[in-house]
Amino acid sequence: MKNIFYKFGAAALLSSAFLFSGCDPEFEDDVQVSAGSLNLSKYVAVGNSLTAGYQDNGLYLEGQVFSYPNILANQFSFAGGGGFAQPLFSNEQRNGSGYLRLSGFTATGSPILQPVTTNLATESATSAFFKDEFTGEVQNLGIPGIRLADIKTPGYGSAQGNPYFERITPDANQLQTYLQRVAASNPTFFSSWLGNNDVLGYATAGGFAGALTPVETFTNLYTELINTLTANGAEGIVATIPDVRAVPFFTTVGPTAKPLLAAAVAAANAQGLPITGVTALSKNTATRITITPASIKDASGGSILLTLTSSAYLPLIGQPTGRYWRELAASQNPTNPTAQLQGYLANFQIDTTKAFGLDPRNPIPSAFVLDDTEQNEINAATAAFNDIIKAQANAKGLAIFDAYQYFNSIQAGFTQNGVAYSPAFITGNLFSLDGVHPTQRGYAIIANEMIKAINAKYGSTIPTIDVTQFRAVLFP
Amino acid sequence: MKSKILAFLGSAVLSAGVATAGGFQANLQGQKQIGMGHAGTGLALDQSSIFFNPGALAHLRQNGIQLGVSALNAKIAYREPSPGISSAQTDNPLSTPFQVYASYGKEESPLRFGIGVYTPYGSSVNWGNLWQGRFGLNELTLQAIFIQPTISYRISDKLGFGAGFVYSTGNVNLQRSIPLQASNYAEGQVELDGNASGFGFNLGVFFQPVEKLSLGLTYRSKVEMEVKEGDVTFMLPSSPLITSQFQATQFDAKLPLPANITLGIGFRPTEKLAIAVDIQHVQWSAYKALRFDYNAPIRGENFSESPRNYEDVFIYRLGAQYQVSDILTLRAGAYYDKSPVQEGYLTPETPDADSRGVSAGLTLALSEKVDLDASFLYINKKQRTDDASKSGGVAGTYKSVAYIPGVGLNYKF
Repeated sequence: MKNIFYKFGAAALLSSAFLFSGCDPEFEDDVQVSAGSLNLSKYVAVGNSLTAGYQDNGLYLEGQVFSYPNILANQFSFAGGGGFAQPLFSNEQRNGSGYLRLSGFTATGSPILQPVTTNLATESATSAFFKDEFTGEVQNLGIPGIRLADIKTPGYGSAQGNPYFERITPDANQLQTYLQRVAASNPTFFSSWLGNNDVLGYATAGGFAGALTPVETFTNLYTELINTLTANGAEGIVATIPDVRAVPFFTTVGPTAKPLLAAAVAAANAQGLPITGVTALSKNTATRITITPASIKDASGGSILLTLTSSAYLPLIGQPTGRYWRELAASQNPTNPTAQLQGYLANFQIDTTKAFGLDPRNPIPSAFVLDDTEQNEINAATAAFNDIIKAQANAKGLAIFDAYQYFNSIQAGFTQNGVAYSPAFITGNLFSLDGVHPTQRGYAIIANEMIKAINAKYGSTIPTIDVTQFRAVLFP
Repeated sequence: MKSKILAFLGSAVLSAGVATAGGFQANLQGQKQIGMGHAGTGLALDQSSIFFNPGALAHLRQNGIQLGVSALNAKIAYREPSPGISSAQTDNPLSTPFQVYASYGKEESPLRFGIGVYTPYGSSVNWGNLWQGRFGLNELTLQAIFIQPTISYRISDKLGFGAGFVYSTGNVNLQRSIPLQASNYAEGQVELDGNASGFGFNLGVFFQPVEKLSLGLTYRSKVEMEVKEGDVTFMLPSSPLITSQFQATQFDAKLPLPANITLGIGFRPTEKLAIAVDIQHVQWSAYKALRFDYNAPIRGENFSESPRNYEDVFIYRLGAQYQVSDILTLRAGAYYDKSPVQEGYLTPETPDADSRGVSAGLTLALSEKVDLDASFLYINKKQRTDDASKSGGVAGTYKSVAYIPGVGLNYKF
């Protein structure tokens, strides 16, 4: 008797469990997706390395696949968006230009970054140009390194120009300018994020190399670019130039170097050398400036920024060394580095037998330091360029992703879905191993910010993407 | 005796499920009561009075044993905040809250002894390790089995008191992803696993001033489940710089299972009809924070704490039973349960909302000594959108439903 009940009970239990397993919870409202007034059938992305998907100091297949334009196109596809063609590297050449990967940490916790040199798309490990041209249609016109100042330069797509633009420019059309290529793309919707390199190159070189684009040039070219993009009635989104001082490339080394430099100065003082700080070069001149440890920027104050590239040389402070100049000469003039080195030493009046950084005769190179003068120039240019970008966008009724405002707003960090984000190098999840370009996660966050700006401007409801599906830095 | 019962129970799949009440309470303690919206504190229905009202136990004329089990099938859907459209749904294992009650006393004695083993709290939520909120939670299993020896004394035909001592044993297992990816793209993960135990009591008074009206009042105390030296297991990228940040191997934690005060009223307008109304006050405010203390630091901290700040709530229950014939009794009921989770505090472990339950049930009197109970409860929680800004949870919209069939067997002697 008992057995029968047991069986009956078990059977009832199992069958009813099976019966109801199909009844899922349902939301009261369906997902709303609409393009609003937009025609997303042909999206074209105009821009530089950020648009190409550049990260970890290189452009490679994975970065291209997870570029913010590709993410945008994917989300546009929910609202009638068309296909999106990118100049992807082949799988055999998937490492593209080569890039940096994190292979470990030193005993003191510094990251060890190793170049990836296999499966490259370049002609050789030392050449920046690519083996194969990409002849298919290209809707992601992100060209790493391009400045706004370059968009009307004939031959920019030739073997004497930019390797990335050369790669997608047909040989028969070598003199086509970037602007002409943009005009030929004929989008119904576009994104434009150009102008970063008009300040960034100068900034990352610590004011030592490169130049800021004159404001007048920027105004004319930007106006022409936006006129070209909107000539056929296309709508779009433009992005402003972030404050380059807020990226890990400039914010990582200073806080750790500050106490080390203070100790070096104190040690020099103890030996009777009456210095208040280290000596550095400014801009591309022989002008010396003194940097007191207190003036180096960290959480407690200061303004002087040290580049990520300086971290390998700062331990040499106080030693008689000319290592930086030797290496620079070898890279700039491989055929006659000795002559090049003599030139540097003469130009910048350097005596490499003196204590590096502590003795004014062997100053810290300008390339490692973004001093107040250089920062002021960069700020003024960035502000002027952003005013032009926003004015042009407003004149044409375009959406704006204010990257300057956005990146400044997240300086203190934020948490999303249990993940902490900040502009910190490696640990902040937003910036890749070059300290300038975002991680794939960072690009996805940018894409979502752009979608929000587009939705606000055009009354669309394009869905944002789940950013946790994108990776940040990979750890060994 | 205790170990025997545990061994018997251990053969079943044990875990009370989420979504049967506010927070992680699982109000599934008697098949007859489940059929009546889980009301019955004011009635002396059967041996389940050991839980519902120890004071009513001595008003049962027969000794008996009752075995019951429910098949809890709960599902929770998630959608990320607009304008995102990513969604997720739990893949919770079928969980089986159960109850065993036995009572004994000489027929004419005013004294009854009883023991109850039941699962009033528990949760089993599995979101998997791919969803958007995985850094908040992959999977949580909470189990608590209450073992309650009870004594009940009938002062008169109108009044009875009862008291039970509660020993609670259980375990907790929590898994979540850590946002650190190895070069093979594997995400980090942490698992906390530990056994817990606690003590409490259950007091009840049963009062039947007239034949057609009975009242019950119970107080079930808070039980603080304490985990000591539970295991902490990390899966992380192997770099020493990272692993040195996650040194903990053991954790301690305390989880309060809140006190309940329930007032129940029973009407018997006719011989065959009984109506039960319960008002249950759940003192969830005891649950202030979920805190884990570690034996070694994790990212420099020896503990982690996320605020919960639950609110006390009332649950309103209404049910009725009608004896159709000598062998068949039918039941129906409903309840309304306010969520203890305040705005901003929603978490994926208990994405709680005000819930509505409707139920039906029946009893088949198969013989003089054997009854078979069956019940079915459907729970529908209100869709709830929360920014989870205060709990460190996962922002978004949640919707839960549960289907809970159950059966019980009564043997009277």
